[in-house]
Amino acid sequence: MKRPDIFNEELLYECYQCARCTGSCPAAFAVEGFNPRNILLTYLRLGVEEVITDEKLWCCTTCHVCEDRCPQLIDVADLLTSLMNEAAKQGHIPEKVRSSAETLLRTGRALLVSGRVDQIRKKLGLKPLPEVPVEEVEGILEKTGLTDLIG
Amino acid sequence: MRYAFFLGCVMPVKYPGFESATRVVAEALGLELVDLPFSCCSAPTLMRLVHYDSWLALAARNLALAEQEGMSILTVCNGCTNTLKEAKQVLENDPGLRKKVNGILEPWGKEFTGEAEVKHLLDVLRDDVGLEAIQGRTEKELTFRVGCHYGCHFFRPPRIMYPDRLSPSKHFLPTQMDEILGAAGLNPVQYNRRLLCCGSGLGTKVDLDAANQITREKLSHMADKQVQAICVGCPSCFEQFDRAQVLLNRKDDCNYEIPVFYISQLLGLAFGVAEEKLGFSQHRVKVTSLLNG
Repeated sequence: MKRPDIFNEELLYECYQCARCTGSCPAAFAVEGFNPRNILLTYLRLGVEEVITDEKLWCCTTCHVCEDRCPQLIDVADLLTSLMNEAAKQGHIPEKVRSSAETLLRTGRALLVSGRVDQIRKKLGLKPLPEVPVEEVEGILEKTGLTDLIG
Repeated sequence: MRYAFFLGCVMPVKYPGFESATRVVAEALGLELVDLPFSCCSAPTLMRLVHYDSWLALAARNLALAEQEGMSILTVCNGCTNTLKEAKQVLENDPGLRKKVNGILEPWGKEFTGEAEVKHLLDVLRDDVGLEAIQGRTEKELTFRVGCHYGCHFFRPPRIMYPDRLSPSKHFLPTQMDEILGAAGLNPVQYNRRLLCCGSGLGTKVDLDAANQITREKLSHMADKQVQAICVGCPSCFEQFDRAQVLLNRKDDCNYEIPVFYISQLLGLAFGVAEEKLGFSQHRVKVTSLLNG
């Protein structure tokens, strides 16, 4: 769990558990049991394994308000991002997320394209949906390791 | 003014009407949009969470593509803007990562150099086109009370999105959309929770009903200020506001009917562009009564 390129782990020890992150968090407002303050504390005290199996980890909308408002300037959203990366590595990925990642791997786009799209585009006077060089995207994602993770 | 047009996934697939509106408005304002074979950006609410290295490599490929053509990138989605700006910053500041990523891109004849600027449509409109030009092009008076929703990835985290425009407290409060709409004769109004999340990032990954509760909170504050139209600069925020109203009305006994517009659509209307070009047919909350009323 050392990803200095994502966030600075040392900074987490500056947290004094004021919970401003959680009070500001839209996902914590909407989802009972999703609590960024508690995730940070549990991670520091009990380790990464204790926080990555709960699918609620993925409720973060990545809005970064937590970081905006943290009096200790901790990148809480980046901690959660790092933890989600770790969860994914161990196979804990919510179904919707896995399915979008598969679509991206297969088509170069994160969304499935319905057959009607080009009809609608034509009506608006637009060219057909631009081609994505799928082979190149697949080749890159195989080298980065996504194919092993998702495929 | 010439830009590589970064469409992203959501706009051309789900809301081609926004693409059409953007192309028409760009032409009216003298912007040339060039199409390049971009892929998914890749999304900060998807790939960055699942696999950071893949997120970075795909973003680097997209940036390199524009660099090869010597163009700046114009984005029309907050997610794309966030990914491309952040990846650029990360790769500029970390030579090790940059070398690794360029090694991955090399077989495809691409290299990240950091030369391409990334600008959201709102910044191009305000800074490159200018408010005077927008005012000068406006033909039709639209007097709606508009609630601007900027969307999180447009300006957060500010250290990544607007590092050159931070306040002394290291924050950045966006005003571009209000200024642009004001120049086009519309009436942007303030409402509580204006700069907070629409909920999209929760709905697309885990729980749509919970995401809609976040949207409901924003909608209630907009309704308090008699907002008649919501304006967004991101197709994902659009989808969230548009769909949530229908679902909340159905499941939660709400009664919201505030039409949502992508910024280019409102500008198109103000510029007197024919409605067929602005793609209102994909809207779930219909715009007809507002436009004809």
